[in-house]
This record gives sequence, structure tokens and C-alpha cells, in this order.
Amino acid sequence: MVILRPEATGLKELLNRILDKGVAIDTAVRIDLSGIDLLKTKAHIILSSFKTAAETGLDFPKGTDFDAPGWRDLATMELCPVCGMKSIRVNLEKYGCPWCGWNSRPKEE
Amino acid sequence: MRNMGAHGADGTPDQKRNKTMESTTLKPEKEESGLTGVIDKILDKGLVINADITIDVAGVELLGIKIRAALASFETAARYGLEFPSGTNLETAAWREAMIDKEECPQCGKRVDREELVNIGCPWCGWESAKAKKMKEKKVGAKVEVL
Repeated sequence: MVILRPEATGLKELLNRILDKGVAIDTAVRIDLSGIDLLKTKAHIILSSFKTAAETGLDFPKGTDFDAPGWRDLATMELCPVCGMKSIRVNLEKYGCPWCGWNSRPKEE
Repeated sequence: MRNMGAHGADGTPDQKRNKTMESTTLKPEKEESGLTGVIDKILDKGLVINADITIDVAGVELLGIKIRAALASFETAARYGLEFPSGTNLETAAWREAMIDKEECPQCGKRVDREELVNIGCPWCGWESAKAKKMKEKKVGAKVEVL
């Protein structure tokens, strides 16, 4: 098996995972003073990579062009489970990874 | 590299050779793991920050903040079609370049046109993908000269 991209470690890998998974922070704070609502704050915050944001349908800033090549790639591209390189999903499943030669099915010829 | 200042020029020949070797071997730049690597990663992947914040004081909504922010490198921003400040000339060569689907060479880390990299190989370091190797094997007879 060819491993082109060994698992990175440390800060970079951590960041990679955080961005890929996305971070959601939901907080609600209420401060009462003798039965009267004094202060109420609510915050919904999300941090994520473009890819994850696009896949989960997060709102992008106004004026974003959703016909740009990056969006097209999202629908058709998939990462190889071995080397992590991007290729067209249909081909990856059918013919294997063109980068490292990984194949989902053993050769049947 | 270390103690270079203390030892100056009287490093052993072996050390000297190592130094020259180091400067000529291909090293994937992307393996940097410090702050540069982190910044690189963030800019490359892009960062979306969406936030809805409300602050009520004594039952009255005092402040509401809605943030839709996207942080990315020029290339990533262009690929995802983010809007650029008005007045940006989108006809320049750099924009056309950004629209080409590129991928980092797994060996040397240079960014190369994806199609070329996967079908032919890396023009910088000569790395070849499994597909390119297979294709080469197939046409051993009628071998095409590839640079």
C-alpha cells in the first residue's frame, strides 16, 4: 500500500480536524437580579472550513457565486481513503485511486 | 544548522556536504508544522465564521449582531466565488490561473494542474501517480517522450 501523506501530527493535524468537523458554540446567558431579568445574551457561533460549511449548508456572505468551480467540485470529488488526494468520486469507486493506486475492490480480471 | 554561528566555517567536510545536500534535495514545503503551516492550512481550506448574537437588557433587545464571515486565501476565495471588493479586476492572469483546478504534488509540494499531475506526473520533481505509471506500462511499445 502506498502512503503518500502520512498522518500529520501536532497543531496542524488538530486544526485540520477542527476545521473539517466544524465547531458550533451555542450559549445562552441570563442574569437575574431579584427576580427581574437584567441581562440576557444568546449566541450561536459556527466555525468551519469552506468544504464543511458548504456541505452542511451554512450561510455564506452575500454575493457569493455558487456556480464557481469550488462548488462543482464538492458534488463530484471525493478524497482517497489511503492517500487523501482528491479525485472524481465515480472513478474512484470504479477504477480506484489514480494517485496511489488504491482500489476498493480486489482485482477481478 | 544549529551552532552554525559558533563553529563558523570550520565545520567538518561531512557537515558541509550535508548542508549542500539539504539545499538541493526536494523537500515538501507543506510539511512545516509551525505557525506557517497552520496559517497555510487555514487559508487553503478557508474558514467560515457565522454568528448570531443577541443581547437583551431588562427585556428589551438592545443589540443584535449577525456575522457571516469567510476567511480564505485569494485562490480559495476565487474558487468558491466569494465576492471581491468592488473595483477588483477579475480579468487578470492570476484569476484565470486560480480557476485552474490545481493540486499539490505529494512529493515536492508544488501546485500543479490536477489533470497534468495525475495523468502525466509532476513537471517539477518527476513524481508519477499510479495512473501515470500504469499508462506508461501499457504503452511501452509506443512510448511517448514525456519531459
